[in-house]
Amino acid sequence: MAGGGGALEIPERQKRGKIVRRKKKKRIGFRIDLTPLVDITFLLLTFFMFTTTMLKPQIMEMRIPPEMYAKVEVRASELLTLMLTADNKLYWYKGIADQNNPPQEIPISKLRALAVEKNLEPTVKNRLITVLKISPDANYARVVEILDELNQAEIPITEAISKEVDEKGEPMKRQRKFTIAPLTEEDLKLLQGEGK
Amino acid sequence: MPKIKKKRMGFVIDLTPLVDITFLLLTFLMFTAKFKSEAEAEKQFTIRRPTVSPDTTKLPERDLAIINIAIDDKNPNDTSYYYGLTNMKDVPLVYQLVPEIPPELQSKALVKVDTTVLGKLIRATLSVRSSTRFAIDADRRIRFKWVEDAMNILRRNRAFVFNFVTDKRTQEEEQKTQKK
Repeated sequence: MAGGGGALEIPERQKRGKIVRRKKKKRIGFRIDLTPLVDITFLLLTFFMFTTTMLKPQIMEMRIPPEMYAKVEVRASELLTLMLTADNKLYWYKGIADQNNPPQEIPISKLRALAVEKNLEPTVKNRLITVLKISPDANYARVVEILDELNQAEIPITEAISKEVDEKGEPMKRQRKFTIAPLTEEDLKLLQGEGK
Repeated sequence: MPKIKKKRMGFVIDLTPLVDITFLLLTFLMFTAKFKSEAEAEKQFTIRRPTVSPDTTKLPERDLAIINIAIDDKNPNDTSYYYGLTNMKDVPLVYQLVPEIPPELQSKALVKVDTTVLGKLIRATLSVRSSTRFAIDADRRIRFKWVEDAMNILRRNRAFVFNFVTDKRTQEEEQKTQKK
């Protein structure tokens, strides 16, 4: 920091044709005061530390089919119906529900196991269609929870199916068939019948 | 003879490692920091998202159209749709195609809409930029009817792929659901 005084003087290297050797000064190590730099750095650091959020939202991708008016016929035996009522209770049945096959209530924690079990039944393997019927008054968080459980169930299902081979000898590909439908009056009647 | 008192010498702490770490942290936080989009900054509500099991999918940041379904902070009985775009260049182009947006809202990145205007906005967005992705960011307390309507509007306007915005479930919540 010190010792800038002679900087502007023109060095007299040549004097009357003679080369004048200057005495070499011993170099003194210089110091830079780092305090302001560190001050600012700490200030910025604290600012960024307080303003960053590490948790970012994640997404759940949905694909919906275009509106179709043509009727598609499916086998009732290949149908797994889940029903979410207005009071956020979940019921399920396979095939067509009647007195012998009433909709049964199931807690969400057991849904994953049910989906895996039903999807891997030998008769309907890789062909099962899951229908989720949702009451408009059901809670959105509950719907997402159910979709999440069904997504999670895909992991063991896909794994089990990919181990098998089709007629051509190639490993089978998982074909997920899933649809969302509104809960109708008829469905509600069905559930009321179950209550009695 | 009295002992000669040694002159006390000031002590020096080497601050180099401290400054090293500080700089490292600073650079990390500076590079990872993301500033709020304009649409996000204009939000008048807080959304409590539904929670799902941890996943690696992240919300895309570019060319995203978000349909917010939120409960008003001040009036808890008031649920409404909000529409926002992350690409600020598209905003005036989209609004031009929707005459229902009043001029005082033209500069906003997030507008409160009803179902008819929502449909028109979706169609306008797709015609301005067909690669726009859609996301439904809804509050977890609302009834499914709201989301269902939004899904039907998306379907009617030929947006067949969209995302639900969710949050990662924490371990405590995980245990709670196990108990259920």
